[in-house]
Amino acid sequence: MLSRNAWITLGTTLGVVGVTGGMLYLSRSASAASPLDDAEKNGPDAAPNGEDALASDKLPALPTASDVQGDLSRNWGSTPPDLRPLFLLMEETSKIVGSGRIFALIAYREARFITTAHNGDEPSESAERDGSRRAYENNKDRNPPLPYGEESADFGSGGLFGLLAPYFLWAGVPEVGKRAPFLNARPELMFEPRIAGFAAALYMHRLLKYRRIDDHADIKVGWANPSLLSKGRGGDKYQEIRTRFYEDAETLGLDLKDEATIPGPRLDSSAWPGFDAVFKGIVGVSPKELA
Amino acid sequence: MRPDLHCYGDGIKELADLVGDFDLRSPMDLHAWYRSEWLAIAATIGFSQELEAALAPLRAVPDRVRATQEAGLAAFASWLLAQRGGVPEAHARTQSVVLGQLITLGRERGELWRVTADPTTLASGACYRAPESVDGASAAADRDIRGAQQVRAFYPDTAAGYFGDGWSGPPPRAESACGWQTPLTLHLGTFPWVYSTRLAGPGPALLWSSTESRPAIAAFEAMTSLLDPAENLRQDARQVAAIARTFVQQTRPLVDAVPIFPPGRAKTGALYRRSGFLVAHRGSLHVAGLDGVRGRLAAPAYNFVLRRFACFFAVRRAALRALASLPEAVRRAAEGSPDPCLRQTAEEVRRGG
Repeated sequence: MLSRNAWITLGTTLGVVGVTGGMLYLSRSASAASPLDDAEKNGPDAAPNGEDALASDKLPALPTASDVQGDLSRNWGSTPPDLRPLFLLMEETSKIVGSGRIFALIAYREARFITTAHNGDEPSESAERDGSRRAYENNKDRNPPLPYGEESADFGSGGLFGLLAPYFLWAGVPEVGKRAPFLNARPELMFEPRIAGFAAALYMHRLLKYRRIDDHADIKVGWANPSLLSKGRGGDKYQEIRTRFYEDAETLGLDLKDEATIPGPRLDSSAWPGFDAVFKGIVGVSPKELA
Repeated sequence: MRPDLHCYGDGIKELADLVGDFDLRSPMDLHAWYRSEWLAIAATIGFSQELEAALAPLRAVPDRVRATQEAGLAAFASWLLAQRGGVPEAHARTQSVVLGQLITLGRERGELWRVTADPTTLASGACYRAPESVDGASAAADRDIRGAQQVRAFYPDTAAGYFGDGWSGPPPRAESACGWQTPLTLHLGTFPWVYSTRLAGPGPALLWSSTESRPAIAAFEAMTSLLDPAENLRQDARQVAAIARTFVQQTRPLVDAVPIFPPGRAKTGALYRRSGFLVAHRGSLHVAGLDGVRGRLAAPAYNFVLRRFACFFAVRRAALRALASLPEAVRRAAEGSPDPCLRQTAEEVRRGG
């Protein structure tokens, strides 16, 4: 298990607009709030809260089987049937063949498939908040300002793929600069599974394009901390994450050697269709429509 | 008099209304209702793609119900083939044989929904010989109750649960080679949630499959056969009504605590009630659940089981209304049914005819 203080930076080696790229945080679902927890806490008549600066009510529902072309039955293990179309949509839209099952595996580790998983909302999760605070303080001068920057610094990480709040809000800055879609959003927007899916697909693309990824387990290492793919390669932490990745695959019932669904030895993002196309395809609306 | 469901007691009509009313004599009704209900089954289990592909060629068929049923069975079988086997081969083979006996027994008695039998009277005593190296979740769970190398082929589901207050007896008449001390009870009407005390996660009967044998298909066929009006009328609806009442009684306090879906104001990821069922707003229903004194109840299990009860009585209502137009053999069977509500309707139809 990585230290909860560990946070990562995946800068593009091309130095696009001179800022750090997407950064994610290895997190777990230990304190993930289940939907029922919310219902129980708030009672039957409680008003919903956590509205986002972006109009999340404009987001479509989760994708369904009719929204994807690929196989939703083979080699998904115990991935929830109602989330499989999202993972497959991420794969088909990003054109990273085989990534759907890997996204499922990451979501299992990071959130146990709970879209509103939040690490940092409990008193015992101060390390998580320290991580997001550090991420914000160390990078705010190099990135566009965030209206909810302080909130993101205190947020920790969350969502289906364990995104660290400040880096989630800056997602897309290397690609589109100040047009990055979440700059004005609250960090809770990452609880939206389509939004989190887009950010995760973007991060996967960057990992595959700019980092040395030898096999599927390296993706998970990079998800935790891309520096482990270079100077940390082969070290204890690197091995630990890989071992856990394979254990997770076994637990979930995914066959990583099934070439028909997860081509090996490494995934390929060379057919990435571009930032805007991937955003529209996964989120279902354009950044403009969402704003 | 227009036949209805009041004869089965309070709340049954409301239960049936959850999935809507339809007329068996209307081709459009049949198409829409059966398609919708089959898609709901497939969505929960996960074979929506296979079902859509199987239903696509069905444009104009003379027997819509049967054609949909066959397409659905083929789709489920195709899906199951793509899944990893859940139990060892010896286990699955025994399950197949025993299930065949239980389904026959259930149909003869008009108690297919919940079939109960003395396991020692069934093939191989409802036991199987475990491999030396035990593999698979079901066998692992049975390790502690193994008698010699013999292991029970099904879970002894006799404690109080969501479908009833327990079935402790009568004990098997013969000594069991694998430790059966209670009847074997399966709720085939709610397949894959066949156990009253095992509704916490995915349907346990989806694991009834190995590389060579797939007993899950027979159990699935038994469950879906109750959507067929003739098969539906063979089932004693009093048994279903009693189990449904227990289920509703046990789950109502849990479900009542869940907020009603607020259109336009729903919170992402939260669990709500909508039109009688649970929904997760832009989240996975499959990770949600309710915790009650009879154990955890997975949200998909709640929806699926409730829907099975609702569908059973919706088909029963439609069949009662259309009884006069059903084949004579079905009408005769209805006249001899142990179900007094059905007998009464059949008698009225006979007199009217």
